[in-house]
Amino acid sequence: MALYACSKRASYLVAHLPVYDFLAPSLLQAPRASHQIRRLNVTKRCFTAAGSSGNQSTSPSQPSRTPKSGPDAASNPAPLNKPLTQAQRDFLTSALRVNQAGELAATLIYTAQTPPIVSSHPHLRPLMKHMYDQEAAHFSTFNSLMAKHRIRPTAMYPVWTLAASALGWGTAIMGREAAMACTEAVETEIGGHYNGQVRVLLEMAEQMEKDGEEIGGELRELIDTIRRIRDEELEHLDHAVENDAKQAVPYELLTGVIRAGCRGAIWVSERV
Amino acid sequence: MAIRTHLPRLRPLSKRIALPILRPYHSYDHPPPPGPFTPTESSILSAAIPHIPSHGFTHTTLSLGTKDAGYIDASTNLFPNGTFSLVHYHLYTQRLALAKHEHILSPALKEREKVPGVGWKVKALTWERLMANREIIHRWQEALAFMAQPSHMPTAISELSSLSDEIWFLSGDTSVDTSWYMKRASLSAIYAATELFMTTDKSPDFIDTREFLNRRFKDVQIVGGTMGNVAQWAGFTAHAGLNVLRSKGVRI
Repeated sequence: MALYACSKRASYLVAHLPVYDFLAPSLLQAPRASHQIRRLNVTKRCFTAAGSSGNQSTSPSQPSRTPKSGPDAASNPAPLNKPLTQAQRDFLTSALRVNQAGELAATLIYTAQTPPIVSSHPHLRPLMKHMYDQEAAHFSTFNSLMAKHRIRPTAMYPVWTLAASALGWGTAIMGREAAMACTEAVETEIGGHYNGQVRVLLEMAEQMEKDGEEIGGELRELIDTIRRIRDEELEHLDHAVENDAKQAVPYELLTGVIRAGCRGAIWVSERV
Repeated sequence: MAIRTHLPRLRPLSKRIALPILRPYHSYDHPPPPGPFTPTESSILSAAIPHIPSHGFTHTTLSLGTKDAGYIDASTNLFPNGTFSLVHYHLYTQRLALAKHEHILSPALKEREKVPGVGWKVKALTWERLMANREIIHRWQEALAFMAQPSHMPTAISELSSLSDEIWFLSGDTSVDTSWYMKRASLSAIYAATELFMTTDKSPDFIDTREFLNRRFKDVQIVGGTMGNVAQWAGFTAHAGLNVLRSKGVRI
């Protein structure tokens, strides 16, 4: 049953992906809301068109790197290929590092939650497994990105390992509602965090486009990856709410503390 | 200008406290940012390097370099760090030169030969880097003295850690957990110790240095293996204990 609901949701997500861009301001309470998002969407469409101009069959995330020929080349001079600025590299470094730390924590939270939850509520087994599998896939995605781009992992790695396991186990002992409230709190923070990253990355891409620089497949792919992962995290948030997260007993206190902890961990992981 | 307007949006995520981001994002689509030396400085320093064996890391070498590169003597004022720039340039260029050792990085394999592992590549690259000091090893203690000065220490340490990062990366290591730190720290320690040993080595073809290096690698393997075994045992015991309790019906 749960699985059926999942797959239905997944197909809904695929069909209505851009809808989730409009969730951004509501999650972040950003003052510069809708016109910003709309503008970013326009940008995305236009660099998609530029990327696939050489070969219509390539997907926008893997633009063809073959040189342009004929009238195409005359109207579009080859884009400049400048080094990334220090600010851009700093941003990408801390963004990927904090994402890896976050996914590490998420996999550990689900790993620790699963045995107590499943033993008392066997019907949640498929849902827990589904969420864990997605988190594990995100974790390995970010691990390979870190290794590829030579980014130092966070120095707090062992601390986050312990803290996440303790959080997952502790909330699972408190019962199904508390565990789901934990998921809800964590995924809310993470969803907002990824949204912020996507926004900065799109702005960066737009700026580069405006300056006539080449954006490169790497950055486009990164934006697509973070978007996909954010949508999956928000899907977990919905599952948690469907499973009575709001009925956890000290609901405000529990989610408040967990969300503050998440924000603190994000702040630290971006820096060390 | 474009960059200036862009900065405030990107700033919040980057460092504000003292810890520098040592390993910034390495892009494959974009060219790397410029190194620590301008083209003029590089031309002078690369002209000065051949004079090191006879004149050491001294001002004379630097002046000879400016002369050879076709600049006037006063150009040595380009280098506020003086002769330390020679040391830094040597460290920097030899680190980047490691990527050119194709025979180690992607060796041509004969039939039924095993693909060399990460460990083998790390050892081979470390040895190549030591051998890059071969021509100037009798002057290297001067360089070590410069590197030990408090004002030059940060550069020297960051070069050492960049070197060990470069070696692990080129060898194809992909670990991104706590072992990332262990690996770089132990390789830095091994390299620094062996380099110091090499300055006093008089054996033909640096055989003693080679043995010293192999012994250090073996030590680290034994320590690392023991720690790994202890951690594995502790994890296994904890898991088994937890599962025994669960099988008894304890709700944990």
